[in-house]
Amino acid sequence: MKSFQEIILELQSFWSREGCAVVQPYDLEKGAGTFNPATFFGALTAVPARFAYVEPSRRPADGRYGDNPNRLGKYYQFQVILKPVPSGITDLYQKSLKAIGLDPKQHDLRWIEDDWESPTLGASGVGWEVWLDGMEITQFTYFQQMGSMPLLPVSVEITYGLERIAMHLQKKDSVYDLEYGGGLTYGDLHKSQEREFSRYHFETADTALLSRHFNEWEAEGGRLTALADPLPAYDCVVRISHLFNTLEARGAISVTERAQYVTRVRNLARKVMQLYIEKNAPKAVEAA
Amino acid sequence: MMSLKKKKSPLEAMAFSDGQIPYEAGRKKASSPPRKAPARDFLLDVHTEPLPARFVAPVLEQLRTGAAKWLEGKAPHGEISVSGTLRHLIVTVKSVSPKGHDKSEKFKGPKEQAWKLPDGKFTPAAEGFARKYGLCAADLKPEDGILYAEVHSKGEASSALLQAMILDLLKSLQFPKSMTWEPSGFKFGRPIRALTCLLGDKVVAVELAGVKSGRAVYGHPVLAKAPTVLKDPSKHSAVLRQGLVIIDPAERREYLLKALELTTKKTGGRTEDDAELIDETVFMVEHPVPILSKLREEHMKLPAALLKLVMKKQLKFFPVMARDGSLLPYFVGVRDGLSCGNALVREGYQRVLEARFNDAAFFLGRDAASTLESKLPLLERVMYQKALGSISQKAARVESLVSWMGSHLRHTAPIDERAASSAARLVYADLVTDVVREFPELQGQMGGVYARNDGLDERVALAIEQFYFPVAAKTPIPATPEAAVVSLAGKLDSLSGCFAAGLIPTGSSDPYALRRQALGVVRILLEKQLPLDLEQALEEAVKLQPVVVPGPGKLSAQLADFVWGRAQSLFEEMGYASDEVRSIREGALKDLPNAFRRLAAVRAVRREPAFESLAASFKRAANILRQAKSENSEPPDRALLQDEADFDLYDALVGAEGAANDRIVRGDFEGGLKSLVAVKPFLDLFFEKVMVMVEDESLKRQRLALLGKLARAFKRVADLSEIQS
Repeated sequence: MKSFQEIILELQSFWSREGCAVVQPYDLEKGAGTFNPATFFGALTAVPARFAYVEPSRRPADGRYGDNPNRLGKYYQFQVILKPVPSGITDLYQKSLKAIGLDPKQHDLRWIEDDWESPTLGASGVGWEVWLDGMEITQFTYFQQMGSMPLLPVSVEITYGLERIAMHLQKKDSVYDLEYGGGLTYGDLHKSQEREFSRYHFETADTALLSRHFNEWEAEGGRLTALADPLPAYDCVVRISHLFNTLEARGAISVTERAQYVTRVRNLARKVMQLYIEKNAPKAVEAA
Repeated sequence: MMSLKKKKSPLEAMAFSDGQIPYEAGRKKASSPPRKAPARDFLLDVHTEPLPARFVAPVLEQLRTGAAKWLEGKAPHGEISVSGTLRHLIVTVKSVSPKGHDKSEKFKGPKEQAWKLPDGKFTPAAEGFARKYGLCAADLKPEDGILYAEVHSKGEASSALLQAMILDLLKSLQFPKSMTWEPSGFKFGRPIRALTCLLGDKVVAVELAGVKSGRAVYGHPVLAKAPTVLKDPSKHSAVLRQGLVIIDPAERREYLLKALELTTKKTGGRTEDDAELIDETVFMVEHPVPILSKLREEHMKLPAALLKLVMKKQLKFFPVMARDGSLLPYFVGVRDGLSCGNALVREGYQRVLEARFNDAAFFLGRDAASTLESKLPLLERVMYQKALGSISQKAARVESLVSWMGSHLRHTAPIDERAASSAARLVYADLVTDVVREFPELQGQMGGVYARNDGLDERVALAIEQFYFPVAAKTPIPATPEAAVVSLAGKLDSLSGCFAAGLIPTGSSDPYALRRQALGVVRILLEKQLPLDLEQALEEAVKLQPVVVPGPGKLSAQLADFVWGRAQSLFEEMGYASDEVRSIREGALKDLPNAFRRLAAVRAVRREPAFESLAASFKRAANILRQAKSENSEPPDRALLQDEADFDLYDALVGAEGAANDRIVRGDFEGGLKSLVAVKPFLDLFFEKVMVMVEDESLKRQRLALLGKLARAFKRVADLSEIQS
């Protein structure tokens, strides 16, 4: 039986063998691995991309004070991004499951239609959630649009839900009982985080400060796009996106305000994307 | 059901299990005599990454009709059939002739006199025209002074035709949503992995989206071994069957249903007959293997509707029900493929369902921690519709409409007005609960659960629970009078609000489901026998809208027509003729249950022999009234009438009206109509003996008044002039 960390190690070496650069998590709070620049910028141009990485993902609204055995406010995704898409990619994915000890022959593996959309990034894709014996373990997406523009060549994004896979492999009913590695459980490492961050996100976060920061980072992002440096400007997108998630979990955003916040994040994201494409387009032509 | 155990002989199976047999090589028989080549079968198998279940059946239908249309007139062929799964779209055409039809085409050229010189020679322009079609000018055929180029061509080889057909067909398929995945930018429902295209034993060579056609066939992606090389189309379905793919959807369904039955036998129950879930499952698996699993007792305490929804909608599991419809502590998950490692899969199914139930229980607990009443302020922040304000405002309108209805029905259909009004206040409160946010389909039902949890009166809880009833054309309406009135108020408010805001359904577009709501109104009034004046109620509902309506009277009339449209189609669906339905239109919405009784009376009396000619006489009376533009409703004065026929009709009518009235007030419309029919001989005599439109103005006026009285008497039941002979 593989520990949590062994699952990560196996996935990293599997995709490393498949020619991916195994990059490191990006050092800002974010809701999903898609926000890692390897994917966000990787999908944008015609430059080939093959990356794999673990990404800590924060979903403030999903926190359950450590009480719910299946829901976490912070968890880990394992993400693979491939462009162009290798043919037989679904078979390759099945092989990766075998590598971590899940023999598809011994399980019910199903591909359920699930298209992905990120209103804040103006991004959308077509794909599936992959079910292992009814449990969603992976999100499998062919990106179609970013910043509301069609993408060609298309990238495929594979997002493994590590905790769910580990629970299935280790036959654990609670995520906190997972064997993490190094003699520790997932709970040893995360339970107090979950408890304290749930309190923070739902009860104690200073909403005035958060919304001030939202405004300030939004303005800073705008200023940086004017200076034509998309990478630092993108950090502002990641920051305000997470600030928005936190404000929402805290119940500080009304229904009408919500749409406005989403539009503000999307507008900044779009500017950054356009800037990045302009700056990197010549390179893209070279590569194509 | 086809048994999958029926194995091919090992030799036969081996014959095409080795992927290397070079079928194309060395098969040319150079010396064979030139005889007619036989017709061959054609196979197209598009192997894709998993298509969404909902895509498959419609696309197979497009393939069937598309192939038939494409081949029509192009090549002789036999039966066309389609089959498929989430990973295979398959078309077969039997006995395709080796050559397409010979073609003759005629192209219109110049006028003979313009391009033919007086000496009979052709102009260079005419020569040029002929050359374009590979002819000499002399070959051009004159017809009515115009020259035509006639081109005859031998039928193309079928393989070339089929190449074109494959590409045309696949490019023309319409998916609910399509995608790109490779550099050519070709769009399809999901990526194409392989194209198996065979005409007899030959590959039909095509290339699409970077995939070259061939003869390899791919079985189940997890369970089948290497792809099989197919010799010719005849073994295709057998090869896939060995690869654990049942390609025929009808066979897969039969197999699934039988397997579900067998699997649940020992529970004493059976899986719910959910057509939608069965259809979906047929296209979600290639080889269905049902696995009976257990529910934990502690979860059986959750509301049954919630349990079922989680199982069916979230996890595609089949709930198992006892004979009385109650849930048993079992469910069935349908696995794709083999039953190898079933215990592991079952354990997984149970664990994932428990996790979902734990989640639902968590939401339920949070929702139930505060009362529905305390959630009301949150509704102010939920928008119903931009022009129509928040849900909170809608709730206020519904509440006042309920109280209006209560006072109007007080004498005819007493309801507990206090319970109805409490329910109206709380009816939308569940929209801000976690469970309904997670499962919008449970709106209303969860409201009922929370109302009981709050210790509210059962009449209130039930009215909240059944607020959205009927949810479909044949499902139940609210059970109690209080629930009926609250539900009516919600629907009337939606109808009048949307109409006032200009959101009127057109053609197939009805985003607010107003047709369904109008039908709900009609069904509730009919089935609950509520004598509500719908015209007034709609006027009242329009008045309550926050939108300034330029002509409120006109809008209410438009709404009334809209609702009447639903009533009309409901009646016709029940078997009433459309002229019968039209005959009761007048006043129908003022009292729908009565209108229905009037309709039944017309139908019953129509069977009487005298009826047909009465309707004709009645039509005559109506025509006279219409031509005279007589809208005079003053009663005739017997003393001012003149002839015996006048008096006889007058007396017969007064008598019949009295008799009819006695019956009508008792609700016996059939008896009433029959009493009125008694005037028929006197009406006929009247038309025979006297003229209505006489010179004498006073007499004319009296006779018109007499006919008017007759018309009004009948219209209490029906306007017989609408009845077609």
